[in-house]
Amino acid sequence: MKLLNKANLAPFLERLRPEFEVVAPLYEGQDILFGDLDSSQLATDFIGKPRLSPKEYLFPQRERLFTFNVCPESIEIEAHFNETKRVIWGVRPCDLYGLKFLDLVYLKDYIDPYYQARRANTLLLGLNCNEAEESCFCSSLRTGPFAKEAFDLLFTDLGDVFLVEIGSRAGEKLIEKGANLFNLATSKEREKAKLLEEKSKKTFKTSIDLGKIKAKIAAASDNPVWAEEAVKCILCGGCNWVCPTCQCFNVEDIKAGHKTQRIRYWDSCQLGGFTQMAAYNSRAAQAERLRQRIYHKFSYNPDKYGGEIGCTGCGRCTDVCPAGINIAYILRRVANE
Amino acid sequence: MKKVLTTCEFCGCGCNFYLGVEGGEIVAVYPSFSHPISQGRLCIKGWQGHEYIHSPERLIAPLIRKGNRFREASWNEAYQLIVDKFNQTRTRYGNDSVAVLSSAKCTNEENYLIQKFARACLGTNNVDHCARLCHASTVIGLATTFGSGAMTNSINEIEGADVILIIGSNTTEQHPLIGDRVLRAITKGAKVIVADPRQTQVAKLSSLYLMHKPGSDVALLNGMMNVIIAEGLEDKEFIAERTEGFEELKKTVASYTPERSAEITGVPEESIIEAARIYAGSKKSIIVYSMGITQHTTGVDNVMSCANLAMLTGNVGGEFNGVDPLRGQNNVQGACDMGALPNVFPGYQAVTDEKMRNKFEKAWGVRGLGVNLPSQSGLTVVEMLDSALEGKVKAMYIMGENPMVSDPDLNHVEEALKTLDFLVVQDIFLTETAFLADVVLPGVSFAEKDGTFTSTERRIQRIRKAINPLGDSKPDWKIVSELSSRLGYPMDYKSPREIMDEIARLTPIYGGISYQRLENFGLQWPCPTPAHPGTPFLHKGSFSRGLGKFSPASYKTPAELPDVDYPFILTTGRISFHFHTGTMTRKDWALDREYPKGYAEVNSEDAKELGLRNGQTAKVISRRGEISLPIRSTEAIRKGVVFIPFHFAEAAANKLTAANLDPVAKIPEYKVCAVRLELAL
Repeated sequence: MKLLNKANLAPFLERLRPEFEVVAPLYEGQDILFGDLDSSQLATDFIGKPRLSPKEYLFPQRERLFTFNVCPESIEIEAHFNETKRVIWGVRPCDLYGLKFLDLVYLKDYIDPYYQARRANTLLLGLNCNEAEESCFCSSLRTGPFAKEAFDLLFTDLGDVFLVEIGSRAGEKLIEKGANLFNLATSKEREKAKLLEEKSKKTFKTSIDLGKIKAKIAAASDNPVWAEEAVKCILCGGCNWVCPTCQCFNVEDIKAGHKTQRIRYWDSCQLGGFTQMAAYNSRAAQAERLRQRIYHKFSYNPDKYGGEIGCTGCGRCTDVCPAGINIAYILRRVANE
Repeated sequence: MKKVLTTCEFCGCGCNFYLGVEGGEIVAVYPSFSHPISQGRLCIKGWQGHEYIHSPERLIAPLIRKGNRFREASWNEAYQLIVDKFNQTRTRYGNDSVAVLSSAKCTNEENYLIQKFARACLGTNNVDHCARLCHASTVIGLATTFGSGAMTNSINEIEGADVILIIGSNTTEQHPLIGDRVLRAITKGAKVIVADPRQTQVAKLSSLYLMHKPGSDVALLNGMMNVIIAEGLEDKEFIAERTEGFEELKKTVASYTPERSAEITGVPEESIIEAARIYAGSKKSIIVYSMGITQHTTGVDNVMSCANLAMLTGNVGGEFNGVDPLRGQNNVQGACDMGALPNVFPGYQAVTDEKMRNKFEKAWGVRGLGVNLPSQSGLTVVEMLDSALEGKVKAMYIMGENPMVSDPDLNHVEEALKTLDFLVVQDIFLTETAFLADVVLPGVSFAEKDGTFTSTERRIQRIRKAINPLGDSKPDWKIVSELSSRLGYPMDYKSPREIMDEIARLTPIYGGISYQRLENFGLQWPCPTPAHPGTPFLHKGSFSRGLGKFSPASYKTPAELPDVDYPFILTTGRISFHFHTGTMTRKDWALDREYPKGYAEVNSEDAKELGLRNGQTAKVISRRGEISLPIRSTEAIRKGVVFIPFHFAEAAANKLTAANLDPVAKIPEYKVCAVRLELAL
């Protein structure tokens, strides 16, 4: 393990720049969002998570997949793989889990070449959470507040210095690029990090019982909570747009002259038009769609992916819901009724 | 990726988000989490409604009509043709033979310029915009009773109310982030009363729902006031100290006993009594209303009755009480503030007031050109079209409006526009209206220009340029300035910021506004001086007009009632996935996928009696036209009422509606006309 003075974080990230596009949490006014590194706006001491997860660097909101040109004789196709070498710093443990989960979806049985191209060129530099926000419940899912896997480097904020754990050879190579900025950590700092982890776990205001949820969810399809909460839904799709694991998309062809672009967009299972390409959305009632969102994450995903759930515990879906629909509340109802 | 903070281009909530820009294209949206209204939340239009910006259908060059087609032209040629035609028309028929429609989608700066263009350059007060079709009755009704025609509260104050009376507003669908505040208030224990002929989402979440007959609002509100006075629940101190005209109100509402009110409205007596008691039972009662109140021949009466009810119980002038008309368009409040209305200069300063004319003549330097500003109020939207048919209006300039879908009685609109000698349309798409034009000028979307929008809570906020104008298109303020200059009235603005500085100098309620001061999520007017912090709620201590004026109204029936031939009431409105005439939202895959076409909502019992099954195509016929569209049968609409959203040009609800106007506000009665339904074969 290494130590990096906080003051040396920006210089370290800057040093990676010639080779990598560096992405980090930045202050945009009073909001914290991931963006291309601007050292003057770099956010290091924030509580909770950047407002959107870094998912979009691997699976963008809007991505041009390929362009095609239908000529009388032939069809020309040009694929647009994004192979930018990228380092993302400040990835919270919930978001590391989110990307680990997307790897299961997009790189295991079915391989998505666009995701694959981006993923192969991306290094993840995690940042443990010393304090939870109101909506966070990763400690209940054991996806945080300190990460155990799925990072290339992992940073823990010890006050004036970061403790830096190496998670891969690629991560180690990054440290080599800034070797003179790092010191060797001692057992004292490792102990301090352990204490911080215990302390952080006590800051959670939201908790759920995952064991109970897994045991009860199959029998919860008639729980009144679906209808009670769904009646408030205004169909904004926000819960899907901000989810670090939601992976559904739609494609559209945009034709201008002879040239057609195929564009992929994030899609939302909460909308009536979802899966319309298969004639119609088989879940006609909003309550069924809300139930599907939760079942997908807590029942179907674990069945398919060896027990891994499709929720990171980040609580972003709750944060952005204009109807006040709270995922932790729903999960508690599932567990307790 | 560059992130540009800006204000949403759809409804009047005024949410802020960042547009993510890559390679000159909008590729992402991020809600602003620190913005007072958005707070990290958006509706689907905010998240996913901006694809139209890059639509291949965008206009990217001026077009000139050539027979039944258009050809691309240079700006120079297009401008010259407009200059020649406008000059000929004005010389031959006078200045008032030209009429201008402004746009609630455009910025304050653009609205300011186009009314200045109409008045100072063309010499006519014939300038109006779609506020005429949505809140003209509010502007007049609240100005009469309170002295100011705007939402009295801030959006966030709704969350702190104990009682929210929602009448004629489909809040969660049409103003989603205001709906968010209503839902939060419910969570905190507020009682919500909803009066609407349709059982909307917010009605389903309410504690008391009144399914009243379309057009019976005055009778319902008078009934509530009757109960309040009969039970001694009125605020005597407030009435004595802050209002006038109470005795007349008392006299008028005396005859609206719960029994009579129930008979007119179709709402049970006990519900009217309960609503009155709940509303009068708190000093934190807010009335929220929208088109269900305003779009009637009795629109002004409806608005004044809401104001009467608030004053009767002392529920106005406070932080958590008031009367809140929800403005529909992103900048319809601003377009009114800027004087894109036929009777007022910016800041509601009357054109008939000589002092005001002097002020603007001096400021606009028209005297040097030997011209006086016109002293008579000009024509309103519907009157312009009527005058075109009468041959009095010969040429029109329409910026960012689509009357061929949005105005009542479309066959009449089409006839009127075709009668014109010359029509110019400035828009981002070849809309149904642009299709009839002689010259089409390509403006830009909100993402391609700087400026300000004023939201429904009077919050003046920045929009910021994220990408360059597409093709040869130009920011709308630039088009108006260039055209004005060529017509002999020079407008030489370097930027919208400079225009705002001029607005602030001439508009007392915007006196303290500057771009610099708007950086932190804007300011709420009135903001008269550079040191003024803005005004979150109106009428504190005293009303804008001094004493609040009770303005009693008697119930009048809608202009066109159902009869044997046309037995149903048609009411029109919007759905959450589309906006107005759909020129933007129907080009967005996600929004279009939800509702690719129109429909008619029919009560399930009515459907059964007519032998119509859910999804079957019906013909809906009025005295003015007919359309065919699938029906959706539902219990969530009053028996005898049919609802059709007006977004869909190919099944345009406005082919059916009538141009019956409120006598004062001249707003058409979109919410009531008579139709019949038949199975389409």
